[in-house]
Amino acid sequence: MSDPALRFDHVTFTYPEGARPALADVDLQIAEGAFVLAVGPTGAGKSTFLRSTNGLVPQFTGGRFRGRVHVAGRDTTEHPPRALADVVAFVPQDASASFVLDRVEDELAYGMENLGVAPAHMRRRVEEMLDLLDIEPLRTRSVRTLSGGEQQRVAIAAALTAGPRILVLDEPTSQLDPQGAEDVIAALQRLVHDHGATVLVAEHRLDRVAGAVDVALGFDRGSVRMGDPAEVIRRLAIGPPVARLGRLVGWDPVPLTVRDARALAQTLPMRIVADAPAAGETRISVRGLSAEHDGVPALRRIDLRIGGGEIVALMGRNGAGKTTLLRSIVGVHRPSAGDVLVDGRAPQPGVDVGLCPQEPESILFADTVADEVRSTLQARELPDDPDTILIELGIDDLASRHPRDLSAGQRLLVAAAAIAAARAPVLLLDEPTRGIDPDAKERLTRFLRSHAADGGVAVFATHDVELAAAVATRVVMLAGGEVIADGDPATVLGDSRVFAPQMTRVFGPGWLTPEQVAEAMA
Amino acid sequence: MTIRTASRLQTVVLVIANILGVLAFAWPFVLPYATGASRDRFDAPLILIGLLVCIGTLLFVELGRGGMGPKTVALIGVLGAAMVALRLPGFVAGFSAMFIVVLVAGNAFGPTFGFLLGAVGTFASGLFIGGLGPWLPFQMVAVGWVGMGAGLLPKRSWGVRIGTLAAYGFVTGYLFGMVMNLWEWPFFTSGSAFAWDPAGGAATNLNHYLAFYMTTSFVWDTFRAIGNLVLVVVLGRPLLGALDRAARRMRLELTTV
Amino acid sequence: MNIHPAAWIAWATCAGIVAFSTTNPFYLALVIAIAWFVYAACHVPGPTARSFRVFLIAGLAAMAIRTALVFFGTVDANNVAFAAMEGMRLATILVVFGTFNAVTDPFGVVRMAPRRFHEPALAAALALSIAPRTIASAQRVREAQTLRGLRTTGLRSLPALAIPILETGMEDAVTLAESMDARGHGHGTRSRYRPQPWNRRSILCTGAALTAAGAFSAAAFTGVGGLHPSTFPLLWPEVSAGLLAAAGLLAVPGLSRSRGAP
Repeated sequence: MSDPALRFDHVTFTYPEGARPALADVDLQIAEGAFVLAVGPTGAGKSTFLRSTNGLVPQFTGGRFRGRVHVAGRDTTEHPPRALADVVAFVPQDASASFVLDRVEDELAYGMENLGVAPAHMRRRVEEMLDLLDIEPLRTRSVRTLSGGEQQRVAIAAALTAGPRILVLDEPTSQLDPQGAEDVIAALQRLVHDHGATVLVAEHRLDRVAGAVDVALGFDRGSVRMGDPAEVIRRLAIGPPVARLGRLVGWDPVPLTVRDARALAQTLPMRIVADAPAAGETRISVRGLSAEHDGVPALRRIDLRIGGGEIVALMGRNGAGKTTLLRSIVGVHRPSAGDVLVDGRAPQPGVDVGLCPQEPESILFADTVADEVRSTLQARELPDDPDTILIELGIDDLASRHPRDLSAGQRLLVAAAAIAAARAPVLLLDEPTRGIDPDAKERLTRFLRSHAADGGVAVFATHDVELAAAVATRVVMLAGGEVIADGDPATVLGDSRVFAPQMTRVFGPGWLTPEQVAEAMA
Repeated sequence: MTIRTASRLQTVVLVIANILGVLAFAWPFVLPYATGASRDRFDAPLILIGLLVCIGTLLFVELGRGGMGPKTVALIGVLGAAMVALRLPGFVAGFSAMFIVVLVAGNAFGPTFGFLLGAVGTFASGLFIGGLGPWLPFQMVAVGWVGMGAGLLPKRSWGVRIGTLAAYGFVTGYLFGMVMNLWEWPFFTSGSAFAWDPAGGAATNLNHYLAFYMTTSFVWDTFRAIGNLVLVVVLGRPLLGALDRAARRMRLELTTV
Repeated sequence: MNIHPAAWIAWATCAGIVAFSTTNPFYLALVIAIAWFVYAACHVPGPTARSFRVFLIAGLAAMAIRTALVFFGTVDANNVAFAAMEGMRLATILVVFGTFNAVTDPFGVVRMAPRRFHEPALAAALALSIAPRTIASAQRVREAQTLRGLRTTGLRSLPALAIPILETGMEDAVTLAESMDARGHGHGTRSRYRPQPWNRRSILCTGAALTAAGAFSAAAFTGVGGLHPSTFPLLWPEVSAGLLAAAGLLAVPGLSRSRGAP
């Protein structure tokens, strides 16, 4: 039996300023050619584990390290990360921040240049990687001009050119739209099945990847449990909607893909969608709105009326106009025709309408979470009571933390708190669930519901079909700058092949959430 | 905390190189030039260029010998990008927001880092605006010095730190201008009242130079001096806080250099 | 056949030396004309092509200022002529650099840095490629703060603008450093993916430029050729055919273009 690709011998690791160990007595082996998934709540140790496979932990990060990690037979405490570049490739979450050079071709060659590979050999390897990751047409492009999915694949190719057989990725699909995510997972599968690579992936978005992997590592406060994916996912009480359904109705093993679920599911009668409760009076009125972005038409004569109490999911491909529409509603994007009225008059940004941007980091600048909220309260001359909004978002326990120390999901909640503290009746969010963990998603959902229940309006742009299915009262689909569908989620999502939630795929139109199905099956 | 980017030997080399650099700027005052009234001052520029080539080679040979490491390269890349981005906006007379980056980064990460960032950032920003001119080596060294000095300031308390940095920013606003003017002064003022007089002593030349400077650059540089002061007072503390946190997160080694 | 960036640096330096060595307006005018010619023949399309015009204007401005400085002392024809010639020398140097900027690609200059300079050169390249990202980030932050109802003008707004940009930049620096470390940065001797060849054309251009600089340097040391026309008294400058021919060698990069190729 060949050597394992990765071996952890009783590894315990604490960060230099950490209170408790990030990894607690991790002891496991990963065989060559395995496709491994690391799952678990934020802060449980997945990132630390990934970085231990190539020596970044502890050599880059510092800290107290006990035990041994062997990757392809080499001890990571004896070899610095740069000496392991030929056996293990590491791809961080934010591919675009990891690029060193400008042209795709050059980026691919960078790793090999570091290792002193001969030019002729380099050229061969670059060609191989271009084909393997299906990025050949991009070879002379600047990496800054690529889409998210393309960037991720270039980052993978760049890490692999030096020849490593082990590939480690930290949340590769978190920043991607569904199509980009598909392409990346497909590429990883090709690497494993056709080329015998060992791939280790940490992910929150389990819908696509859970069914593709052989083994899962469940992380819980620094300790790891290795096992069958279905089992690990069931035990951690996370997973795609089909898995949640499985847990609710007691299926064993818990299904991980739509296909598995279909095999177990009984037929259910088509769900009768009760008429949606009548929306309150119109608060947002969009009339004949046309707008341009970078000189190109982004919106064409959009007509939309949104009333109090509605939670609207704005969906569509990248470039369909979602962000432009949100920015027009908040009042920062000037229309080329038509108008937008909020409560009968032109919207004032930050006063009538609040927008939580795609990158929550861009608004965080205070030293503590409470101060972030306070700065908004002061600007809007509201009473100095940051805790109220923090409690509404479930993050009052983070009040004295530095925003930059928090996880992606927590940051999003802080940003949302900072925006919502202005108490604008209309709240807009641009791709709020990108890169966040299920726990944060849950808190956001609860907040949106209570905001709408108070008569406010919430509109969010998203690719997250399950979020729309769970919380939206209405779905508006954009394509090419026009509204192509507008109605209740069951109808709109049920009709769409691309945007159908998992429950719809298994049980038919009208079924949106596992909770609905579980209730019907009871 | 400071980044240990160079070994002791490399620090010595850096110091020597900088002394030569001072010479390259200050030679009009100190180098005796005895060949009389001839207006043919061809040797002088050769000395200048020669000195600079020596400095450049020494500096980069030493630093290029694996002295930097991925963390330093990445930090200089990111902070250099900020310098590039800030070169033009808010550009009023001599003021350039680019200096605040060098001031705070030098103060946070130490003199060697400050010098490297100043030099590399200036080079990159020259490339960016398509302006690689003959003044570039001088400018790189001068901005590098601003960064280096910032790293030598006391950090006893926040008040002391910001106060000294603000004063330093104000003073270097002028010093930078004076130093940058030095390289062109001897060649381009002859025949006028401010001329460099090869037969005169250091004192005469210093007088002439100051007069030249006051007429041409002083006002220009006042914008820079005041601009630096204001930016340090307004942004110094939060920026330094962010840089200190970044240094902690990157677990940069602690040494006094 | 492209000219190696190092050859361009040699050309610019030699042309600079030629200009530095003389105040004779005829030689200088010839160098300016040649710089223009080389620019026209060899410039790389793109934003850097603009630099030539910028440097040309800067050169003219410098010449004007230099001439105007005379008014701080005695004003007579001799002094004005002298100042004008000095100004022209400065203008010539600037124009030469304008050509240099327009014919080289910034990444190329950085990429061809010798191995010793690899890390500083890489840092410079990174600064160049990250800059657009930083600018975009700044615009995003500015807008996001507006959306929060915070003011975005005036000094008080600066911390809210500057800090997110810096913090995000620092986080990106960590990601970048990790990625570089994991990809073997600093491991050992590096190789080069597409080594820039020293082709015939580059050698030819470098040789021609060195010859020109050599000729003018020799003339400067021996005092022949009318490098510094007399202004006291004011006399018509003399030129030597040999030196004119030597200056003409600087045109080789523009003349050696193969048909159709830059």
